[in-house]
This record gives sequence, structure tokens and C-alpha cells, in this order.
Amino acid sequence: MSKTNRKVQLTISKTFVYALLAIASFLAIFPFYWMFVMATNNNSAINKVPPAIIPGAELVTNFSNVINTIDFFGAIWNSVIVATLATLGVLFLCSLAGFAFAKLDFKGKNILFVAILVTMMIPPQLGLIPQYIIITKLGWLNDLKAIIVPGLIDAFGIFWMRQYISSNVPDELVDAARIDGCSTFRVYWNITVPIIIPAFATLAIIKFMYIWNDFLWPLVVLRDQASFTIQVALRGLIDNYVRDNGMILSGTFWATVPLIIVFLLLNKLFISSLTEGAVKS
Amino acid sequence: MTLKKFFLLVAAMVLAFALAACSNDEESSADGENGGSTDNTESDNESDNTDNAGNGDNVVLDFWVFGSTGYDQLIEEYKEVNPNVTINFNEGEMNDMHNNLFTSLSAGSGAPDIAMVEVSEVAKFLEASGQFYNLNDYGAADVAGNFLDWKWQQAQSVDGSFQLGLPTDIGPTTMFYRTDVIEEAGLPTDPEALAAEIATWDAYYDAAKTIKEATGKPISDSPMLLFNSIRDQQSQQYFNEQDELIIEETVKEAYDFTTKLLQEDLVGQNALWTPEWGSAMEDGSYAILPGAPAWMIGNVKGNAPNSAGKWSLTTIPEGAGNWGGSFLTIPAESDHPEEAFEFIAWLTAPEQQLKSFHSMGLFPSAPSVYEDEAFLATTDEYFSGAQTAKIFAEAAESVVPVYMGVNYSIVNTELETAIMNVAVEGADPQGEWDAAVQRIEQQLSRQ
Amino acid sequence: MAQIQVEKQLPPRKSSLSQKTKNAINGYLYISPFFLLFAVFGLFPILFSFYLGFQKWNGLGEMEYVGFQNFKLILEDPLFWKALGNTMIMWVLGTLPQLLIGIILAYALNSALIKLKSFFRISVFMPYVTSTVAVAIVFGIMFNSQEFGLFNAILGNFGIDPVSWSTSEWGVKMAISTMVFWRWVGYNTIIYLAGLQAIPNELYEAAVIDGATTRQKIQYITIPMLRPIIIFTVFTSTIGALQLFTEPLIFIGRTYRQEGITVVLYLYREAFANQAFGPASATAIILFLIIIVISSINVLVANRIAR
Repeated sequence: MSKTNRKVQLTISKTFVYALLAIASFLAIFPFYWMFVMATNNNSAINKVPPAIIPGAELVTNFSNVINTIDFFGAIWNSVIVATLATLGVLFLCSLAGFAFAKLDFKGKNILFVAILVTMMIPPQLGLIPQYIIITKLGWLNDLKAIIVPGLIDAFGIFWMRQYISSNVPDELVDAARIDGCSTFRVYWNITVPIIIPAFATLAIIKFMYIWNDFLWPLVVLRDQASFTIQVALRGLIDNYVRDNGMILSGTFWATVPLIIVFLLLNKLFISSLTEGAVKS
Repeated sequence: MTLKKFFLLVAAMVLAFALAACSNDEESSADGENGGSTDNTESDNESDNTDNAGNGDNVVLDFWVFGSTGYDQLIEEYKEVNPNVTINFNEGEMNDMHNNLFTSLSAGSGAPDIAMVEVSEVAKFLEASGQFYNLNDYGAADVAGNFLDWKWQQAQSVDGSFQLGLPTDIGPTTMFYRTDVIEEAGLPTDPEALAAEIATWDAYYDAAKTIKEATGKPISDSPMLLFNSIRDQQSQQYFNEQDELIIEETVKEAYDFTTKLLQEDLVGQNALWTPEWGSAMEDGSYAILPGAPAWMIGNVKGNAPNSAGKWSLTTIPEGAGNWGGSFLTIPAESDHPEEAFEFIAWLTAPEQQLKSFHSMGLFPSAPSVYEDEAFLATTDEYFSGAQTAKIFAEAAESVVPVYMGVNYSIVNTELETAIMNVAVEGADPQGEWDAAVQRIEQQLSRQ
Repeated sequence: MAQIQVEKQLPPRKSSLSQKTKNAINGYLYISPFFLLFAVFGLFPILFSFYLGFQKWNGLGEMEYVGFQNFKLILEDPLFWKALGNTMIMWVLGTLPQLLIGIILAYALNSALIKLKSFFRISVFMPYVTSTVAVAIVFGIMFNSQEFGLFNAILGNFGIDPVSWSTSEWGVKMAISTMVFWRWVGYNTIIYLAGLQAIPNELYEAAVIDGATTRQKIQYITIPMLRPIIIFTVFTSTIGALQLFTEPLIFIGRTYRQEGITVVLYLYREAFANQAFGPASATAIILFLIIIVISSINVLVANRIAR
């Protein structure tokens, strides 16, 4: 292959990649943008045919309606606490368990791993009432623990960490560390953790967003305004018979802003870890 | 490396958190041993308070409400007269509140002292009457006369021995109409004249044809609202008191009428609560919104802010129905049924209902309010200055009591599917009816 | 390369017996939090569901033992089979394409030359963050059945008649599948991206020096290196697809229309709309068995293909 030929090929594929990403981004963002548009409009503009496509003038009105109806910032704070603690806990517990499944030998390992996978296969919708019973027995009603602690159970996270560790942490490295006299925990902590930072970032993003947006369970166990997470509080914007979609979507829109910040922070970790890893190897 | 620090922090937090969880655990189990109940910590504390005070001082009542009731203001008033009662006011979304009540009752703990229940959910909770106090035991009979009979009966067992709740607001139906479209069609725009012109459903059908010819617009945009309006005039609807399905005899006519108008293109095909249903209110793309209760005013104003003066309202042909409205109930878990009853009796008394009407537009279920001068004088410029309160009050008094039954919503969902299939897909009405009946029976067989 | 033998058992180590025992103890210790927490919060609900499968219960009153009656009711209900069929169809339409597109997008996002990485990443991931309330309204408008609906307007440009997205057999399925695809493709992309980032650039560089084409690079480096991640996504998305619930609930709401009802929506209706907790639990058990069978087959197939 000649040099110019390759260059042309490179430009073509580059153009193609950009086009692909641009289209995907547009399709992905458009509904989100539309949510913003609706958050700045009143009901009649939202319902218009064809609907409003550029931001309206109700940005401030809608959001001040939100703040007057619910304790928006208090609920955001609760959500920050819940999502942060659950995410940190899951990162630690899942990476530890994933490490054990990927790099340690113990009896019954495969069966225990399959058992974890099987727990993912049970449709969770019917667990509502029995889980609620457990929470009342623990006295955790209206307590953020009722969201955080069950949130630490994450079969998905263990599976993810196990796959990632098994493909990215070379056995040779583990063995070498062992020969140098590292304890098992040190192998996890000093050898494995630095290598799997992208996996942490990914799991953190997914878990944080999930906890943040979850409302089915929090709705059941949080009944006191002071304990509401943001998604539960947002439900309070829906009136029985009369819906103000502009206000509802305004609350919804602003409630996603912290998520975008979290994403950008973790994304940084994602990229920096890559360069760091490259230097190391 | 910063990540390690970050991670140490994580581990420390998880640990601290786990410890906190454990200590709390012990506390609450200790509570359980002493108090004999392991409900939520909060209510434990509350009952402790009462116990300490001894003679019933300082009662705390948890009160679950949905929607915009304005009850928080009334609670302040109540407090002034009853300083020993603290009311924990908890507002939420309607479905969520019902689900939480259901979960609590099902699990046997966590229910409030007072729970608001919407009329469509009453039958379900009436089935579990053991989980509620019978308000008849607390003097409900003494206040029964304050309320409309049909409303009172909605929260009653079939034999009348069990009273689940005290009535709050109601939703008697009228018909809203676009004066501009009605005028274009050459029909009278004055409320009374229009009500006289369209006094029966046959007349409604004729008017539909007139409107179509003159304006090219359908008389109504939502087939479900038309169906609901006629259905709600029947004294028996989906089930009889023995819970037998009787739709063939009771609502088939309403179904046939609705689908006839659909097939003749006299009714639109908008489903309720969709954007196009909302925007049609502003566009004036149809003439009449039948079966509209008082709370629909808020929807129309919200969806059609620029149509002030183009809407009006009047009596619906052949008598009103009821759509919505709620009750206040006392779950059996409450330790303070007397105090709770005293409070809800006060809250639903005519004077307080009048206040809720003026502040939040909750339409009163106490007919004595309908004689109040200020109430009757209520007009609405948006609705062309019509005497809204008076028209709704008249509608309220023409509502017939109806037994709904616990499986009402199963039937309703399937009939709605049938009607929408006729409307959108142009399906055969009889075929859709038969299919719906089959689906309904399939589900009822599990009950 | 060590990575190639990922799925196999570790080779026996030279270390002493006590090291082996230590490993085992640590292993159990590290995985114990999951099992402890699960024992407290997860086990009881499962046993409870299983028990309920053989009872008649409306959620509030007394339970009544009915044996296999519930299972019989469900298996004889044509709607259950319809729901299962719908679930499968929407899996093929909505979930499977995600995996392919997800890999392609991740590959594009990972190419070293791309600028605005953060922007593209966050935008592709945005749907996962968008709340269901907004999704419901936006998709409701886009899939409006009348001519002015966005999708119908687009189809109209090609001379295609408007589709009844909310009532017709395929319209409903297409609409829900689109929603599923839209909401989850970014999620899978991020997962693949994490996998791709771990592949050292030197491998590609070496391949380029050897004169490998892009296709060869993908076939001989990317896919094999990604194998554990691919297995992961196939497995989790299969479960997700068979438990499809949120999107149909958003789109057909509480009308439970037959065109879009899925198995989980079906059991949800039984439990929380019709208060028939027995048949609902029986459905959950049947679905659980179906998921076990299908995901086993799936992993076997994925294992073979990715190899």
C-alpha cells in the first residue's frame, strides 16, 4: 500500500467515523433537547401540533413553580447521598468479589458464580411487598439506608468486574506479585485496582445513574418529605387531574444536570486512566 | 496516586456506614421489644410520646393526601382549636399514595392514621374492610346527612353496615363547549338554550350532524368521554351487587351509540390525556367536551390559555355522572381513631369544604354548600361568564348512585381498547365488543 | 498472551498449601458481602414469590392454597403466549441491534484520532440519563398515529401511509423497540468502550506494521480481546430483553394493549392492576425458567461465535 493511498483511506474512514458519531449524537440528544424545550414552555405550547421546537420563555416560571411545589434542593441532596454511597459501596464490593472470582481459587467458585448470575434472572417486580416487609422490620422506613443497603446487592457489577479483571489483569502479574510477597489483598489493591480504572468508571457511571433515576423502590419506602430522593419528589409535581407538563419537565430536566456533571467527572477518570495505563505498560 | 486515597475514603465510608446500620438495627429491635411493634421508627417515637403524656395529650396523626387540596392551611386552623393534635401532612402523587397504602396494608405495617382514597380505588379497599376502622362506630351516621347520598354510598359496603370513608370532593359532569364552533354551526351559544337544544342523546346525534355539515368538525374529539358520559347515567354499569358482569344489558347501548358516531365520522379519535387531546382544546377543532367535571376546568385553561371567552359550559343531556373525587379513611393500624375521626369530620364539614372550593376548586360534596350565596355567585370569565358553581351543583344533585365493584377497571380498560380500535383502526364494533368481553372474562376468571 | 486463556481455570501455582488455603479464605471473604446482603434482602422475596405461585391471594385478604392451578391458568391463557411472542419479537427488533451498533459506536469513539471525545461520549450516553417521564412524552409525540406525527411525517415523504403506532400490531412493537434501542444503545457502547480501552495500542501498531487491514485488526485483535465483555453484554441484554417492562409500560401505559404487552408487563398487570398475585407469581416462575434456558443457550452460542 502506498503512503498517499493510506492517507486517503485514513481521511475517508475519519470522515465516516465523524459522520457516524454526529448522527448518533444527534439522535441520542434530540429527545433530551426536546425535554429542555418543553421545560421552557407552557402546556399549550408543548401540546401544539406541530410541537414547539425552540426554547420558550417559561424557563424561570416553570422552575420557580417546581421549587414552590416541592423541596427540590433537599431532595437533590438526598439523592446525592444515596447515589454516592451506593456507588462507592458497589465499586468496592463488586471489584473485590470480581477479583476473587477472576483470580482466586476456591472450592465451589463456579457454582457460586452461577448462583450470582441466576439472581439476575428473577423478575424483580414481585419482590416489592416482601422487601417492604423486611425494611419495616429493620425500622428503615423513611430512612435513606432503605435505598442504599439493598442497592449494594449488584450481581451485574460482580459479573462485570469479573469479566474485566479476567481479561485485563494478566495472571503473570498476579503471580509475580505473589512471589514478591504480596498478600492477597495487596494483589487486589496495588496490582488489580490501578489496572481496572476504566471498569470502575463505567460501573460508577451506570450505578450512579441507575440509583439516581430509580423511583419504583424509593416510592415505596420513602414516605416522608424530608427523606425524598429527587425522583420521588418529582412525582409530587403530578397533580391528580390537572397536569402541568412544563413544570414537570422543568423539574425533570434540572434533576439530570447533576448526572451530567458526574458523567463528565468520571469520564475524565476514564481518559486519564487510559494514558496512565499506557505509560505503565 | 489519588485514586487510592479516594478508594480508602470509600472503604472507610462503607465501613462507617455499615456500623451505623448495625447500631440502628439494635435500636429498633430494642424498640420492638419494649413497644411490641416494629413499625417504622418514627411512629414508634410518636406512640412513645403519647404513652408518656398519659391522658391522650399531644396526639400525632399521619395524614396522606394526593393532589392540590390546600388542606395544609386548614390543618393550621385546626391546630389553633386543637393544640394537642399534631398532623403530619404528607402529599404525593395519586397512584403512588394508593400503592403505598396497598403495600402497607398488605405487609401489615406503615399505614398512616388517615389516608385519602380516590373513588376508583374505593372498591378495592372496601374488600379489605378488616384493615380499616368502620367509621359508623365513630359517629359517621351523625354526619351522613351533610353529604350527597350517592357520594356517601360510594364508600359504603353493599348492606350499608360498613363506612370506609368520609367524602371530600366530587366530580359531577357537565358539558363544556366551544362557543365559536357552536355559533358557526348555527346552534344557540347561551348555556340554557343549548342545554334545551341538546336535551337528549338523540338530539346530540342530530346536533353532531348539523355541526359536521356546517363546520366540517366533529362534535367531540374523544370517543371515550362520550362513552363515559352515557355510561355514568346508568344506575348499574359493569357489575351488579353480586359482582356479575352485566355490561351487555347496561352499557352496550352507550358503546353502540359511541361507535355509531365514530363510524359516521361525527366523533374524533383522540385518546384522553394525549398532546393532541390537549391541543384540540385550544384549536377549537371540535364543538363539545362532554362528561367534564369541575376539575376539568384546570385542564382546559392549562391547555388553551388563549381561548378565554371561547369556552362555556352547560348541563349534559339526560343527567350527570360523576368522575373523580375522594374519601378520607382511617386504617386499622392507627392508634388514635377517635382523634382521627374528629379531625376528618371537621375537615369534611360544609364550612371547610367551602374553603377548599374557594382556595383550590375542590367541588364540595355537601349539598348545604350549594345554597351559599357566595358559592352560587361564582362565575368564570374564561367560560364566557357562566355560573360554573351553580351548573356543577345542579349536576351533582342529578347523579345516580352506582355500584362499581372491585373489578371495574379491568372492564374499563378493555372497553377502552375496543373503542380505540374502532376509532383508529376502523375495526368492526361488534367484533371488538365480543373480543373485549372475552378478554374481560379471561381476567375475571382469576379473581 | 495471558489474556487469551481468560475463561479457563487458572494454572496450578507453585505456591505452598497454606497460600492455597489463604486464597480460598480470601475468596470466600471477598464474595461474602454479596451473599450476606442477598440473604437479608433478596432471598425472602424470592421464596415468597415462589410460595405465592401456589396460592390465591389478592394482596390484602387471606391466602388460599390452589396447587398448580395458577400455572394452568397462565399456560392456558392465549395472552400469556402472545406476551411471550411479543417479548421475543421486541428482543430481536430492539435489543439485538444494540449490540452490533454499540460495538461500532464504541470502536468509533475509541479511535485515537477523534476529537470532541467527551462530547460524543456524553451525547451517546444521554438517553440512559433521560428520565422516563420525558421519554414518555417525547416518544408519544414522535410516534403520534396521525399524519403530523414525526415518524408518520417522515414516512409520508416516502409516500408511505401513516402507521397507527399506538394500536396496530407492528406499529406498537416497532415503537417500543425503537424506544428500547434508543435508551440502551449508549449504555452498551460505554461498556464496550471500557473493554476497548483496555486493549493496548501496541497490539494495533504491531498489526499495522505487519500490514493488517482494519477488518483484520477487528477480527484478530478487537473481537478476541473483547470476548469476555461481549459475553457479558449478550448475557445481560438477554436478561434485560426477556424482562422488558419499563418501555412498554411507558408506551402503552395502563391500557395493557395486546400488541405491546410483554411477559413482565403481563405479570405486573396480574399483580398490581388485577390483584391476582398467585397467577402473577406463577408467571414470574415460568419466566425465570425460560430465562435460564435461553441465557444458557445464548452464552453457549456467544462463546462459540466470539471464539
